[in-house]
Amino acid sequence: MAEAASATKMVLDPAHPERWPELGFEALYAMSWRYCLEAQTEALRHRFRQMSGSLPAMDKLASKEGITSIDRIEDALPLMFDHRVFKNYPLSLIETRNIPKLHAWLGRLTTHDISGMDLNGLTTIEAWLDRLDEFGMLVTTSSGTTGKLSFVPRSQTEYPAWEASYMQMLHASLGVDPYTDKVETFAPSYRGGHQTALKVPMMFNTFAAGGAEHYHTLYQTHMSADLMSLAGRMQAAEDRGELEKLGLDPALLSARQDMIALAKRRSQDLADWFEALFEGYRGKRVKISGLGGDLLRTAIDGANKGVKPSFAKGSIAFYGGGLKGFKHDLPDWEAYVCEFFGMERLGTSYGMSEVICQSPRCCHGNYHVMPMNIPVLFDADMKPLPREGTQTGRYGFFDLLAQTYWGGFISGDEVTMHWEEDCGCGWKQPYVGPAISRYADKDGGDDKITCAGTAKAYDDFLNFVSEG
Amino acid sequence: MSDIREIPIISRGRIIRPTEDDVAIYNARGGAQFRSPDPHRHIHDLVMGNPVLLTDLMDTPTRQIIEFLVEVGKRLRLDDNPFFQESFELGLLAGGLSEPILRSVYERLPGMFDGGYLTERVEHTIGSAFLDGWVPREGCEGRHRIRAFGTRQLHITAGNVPVVAATTIIGGALSKSDILIKSPSNDPLTANAIARTMIELDAAHPVTKHVAVAYWKGGDEAMEHQIVRTTRIDKITAWGGMNSVKHIQKFLQPGIDLIALNPKFSISLIGAEALESEAAMDEAATGIAVMSGLMNQTACVNTRMVYVECGDDDESLAKLENLGRRIVAAYKTLPSFFSTPAAAPNSDLEAELEAAAMEEDFYTVIGNTVEGGVVISRFPDRVDFYDQLNNRVVNLVPVADLLDAIKWCDDTTQNVGIYPETLRDRLIDPFSLAGVQQFVPLSGGDAAGVYREFNSNPAGLPHDGIEPARRSVRWVIDHRPAGKPAIETAIAAE
Repeated sequence: MAEAASATKMVLDPAHPERWPELGFEALYAMSWRYCLEAQTEALRHRFRQMSGSLPAMDKLASKEGITSIDRIEDALPLMFDHRVFKNYPLSLIETRNIPKLHAWLGRLTTHDISGMDLNGLTTIEAWLDRLDEFGMLVTTSSGTTGKLSFVPRSQTEYPAWEASYMQMLHASLGVDPYTDKVETFAPSYRGGHQTALKVPMMFNTFAAGGAEHYHTLYQTHMSADLMSLAGRMQAAEDRGELEKLGLDPALLSARQDMIALAKRRSQDLADWFEALFEGYRGKRVKISGLGGDLLRTAIDGANKGVKPSFAKGSIAFYGGGLKGFKHDLPDWEAYVCEFFGMERLGTSYGMSEVICQSPRCCHGNYHVMPMNIPVLFDADMKPLPREGTQTGRYGFFDLLAQTYWGGFISGDEVTMHWEEDCGCGWKQPYVGPAISRYADKDGGDDKITCAGTAKAYDDFLNFVSEG
Repeated sequence: MSDIREIPIISRGRIIRPTEDDVAIYNARGGAQFRSPDPHRHIHDLVMGNPVLLTDLMDTPTRQIIEFLVEVGKRLRLDDNPFFQESFELGLLAGGLSEPILRSVYERLPGMFDGGYLTERVEHTIGSAFLDGWVPREGCEGRHRIRAFGTRQLHITAGNVPVVAATTIIGGALSKSDILIKSPSNDPLTANAIARTMIELDAAHPVTKHVAVAYWKGGDEAMEHQIVRTTRIDKITAWGGMNSVKHIQKFLQPGIDLIALNPKFSISLIGAEALESEAAMDEAATGIAVMSGLMNQTACVNTRMVYVECGDDDESLAKLENLGRRIVAAYKTLPSFFSTPAAAPNSDLEAELEAAAMEEDFYTVIGNTVEGGVVISRFPDRVDFYDQLNNRVVNLVPVADLLDAIKWCDDTTQNVGIYPETLRDRLIDPFSLAGVQQFVPLSGGDAAGVYREFNSNPAGLPHDGIEPARRSVRWVIDHRPAGKPAIETAIAAE
């Protein structure tokens, strides 16, 4: 694929960045970002022109900032959405299940006209999201510590590029081609749900596993978006003995009871599930896909109990979500996990719900950004940092694979970006170093004390419900 | 490195300065740096392991303690107290108050040391008789006597207003207690400056001998594990709630009494009458502007949400917007000694306001985080970022009935501003049950007058729903056998 580099400008068609993932990660990583920049800029200009006039959320921002055209990437920076945009609805719409208003709000974030969708009979957020799927949308949700859901308004239009880029990411991070080499896959999670961390694996891991029957999950149920978003509110109402007064669907109340019961036995279920997996797949090649914390907890518990899996050579594991506060004193927990599971490779990627193409980790531990994303780093005053050398700042990007919603986004992450393409792994393109932190965590480290504010009661229920 | 300030440890009348081989360097907020002696090497200078050493303070009559504090207060002047000048400069860098406001706060600190005020404070809380000797319980033939004993206290103080440092030192002296103050990073020097002023005045005075002040980083386990022990501390007063106690929580155990002064926010309740005439609207707007604008909305007493009895139809919301515009206009008229435009925008809140402004079906935004502003909810719920409201920005929320606002009130709701006064009797009981701790008037229409009213609280009132002074001492009973009453004249301190 080395010859691809010289043909870059012809290969990357700026009118169709959604076709770029088809080139394959080897070809994409053989190119320098400097070669891609012109095509990327033209593609960004193309996306802006494409969406102008049909995307109210972006149009409003553009008119406020006085932006009518984009010549350089810098021109588009004021148009980047921050994390608020995808959850910029009043929480009370969820609490009162005011689906018509929520639907109208979502409609301003996508170029699809969803106003004609039938909203009759919808009483839950989950059912609304299901119907959006039937309508041709593929909305994913995610929730921060406050529990307020964000809705990323993707659709079937994005699906082909989404799938292709996901497969390239998997291939790049694990060294196994999911198109040609199917591996029996085990995910210690729910079977599905609209949460990004559940919906995306359900959509794509079944394919990589070779079919739904080869994709095994800890639970066969879905995680309900309503329980995710109302957990805090429901707990508060229950504390007051006023749960019935919320006027929730009785099915939702019983789902909540099931979820609480399930959360209580989750660690036992997890241990049993892994033990059955170890027994049933002795000598076979598997892929395990889950949260880093779950893999490590299983490895530690297993080692304590003297349980030891013996999968076939070539078994692999992919993790996401980091360790989520799981405490341990292992200096190299990944090596420990690999050693315990007998895995050749532990793959992972860097990304967030708001980006389609995640950046796979290379064998040198760095996350290389594929050219479908234009990364931008910002300093503390939100001024863009130069695209040269090594820079540390806030990560933002333009996602060129977003065809029906605006792909410019500013994250809450501080990363170190290397622009000189000097990674020892041989891949080019800018790469993010392994140290990634959330600005929100940093701010909490200050011991400034004031008498004002509210105690953010961190809800235990939310905590364990969101674990899945 | 010339800009590194030196902050000594204050240890019961002694000043311990950093030396070449005994130093810790800290980054204060606002880019300032300071160096202190390494607190890990001074645990014994900070705590008092033997509680009986409080005898000297217990033997000092309250009257003499007040006389001493009055003398200290006379020396707390910005124009000629170098400790205070330095503390003021660092407070400007590290804290969140603008120069004219911080100056006026400092200028008012000596007033807290006024003799009459201090007497009122002690008599309306613990009572000097109980501090100075054993007080027979009425109707028990002198068999039961009660006395309030000083304790060993750790104070994790708030730094948003320097008043906290002063009131902590006064509270320690007026409860005849031994206090260790852990300074906050946003006000690292005020307590230190007051303590050094006391040392200059009389390093051997029993009050001076029971004040220690140090800074260490909150969450320094090595420090907190050493300090928070039943053998060394009896009471902890923690301002700032979880932020300040989350680190020491693991060291808490029975025997250590935690007085948690949790973070609070305040609200106001505005009746429909406020929207009915120009005059009423202006009067309410002035009251709201004062209650949210004083100290530039950095304190717990500042209203952040304003619930207004009002419909959510377009006509009613137009009136609410009119009230909002008047509040923003009123900010501009507030005297600079208690409220000023912000020195810089609050970028997080500004982003929230911009996001809200994008959703015009839901919110209307007037003003900004420099001049002050309002965000009007166009439906009966507060904004989701209500806990970030600051820089003189309030959220106006229409509610059909003001009692509906009870669902947003709990133990974190400190003050409730009320307008008009005719509402008061209907609201105060249910809101008290919900957790509210004080009701304040917003009427008058004259900013300076409303502000004066706000600052007219007598000394010794309850605080945050509790009586911290009475909580801070140990109430001891002396139960004698029948027929052998104590001799009334044997009062220890006299």
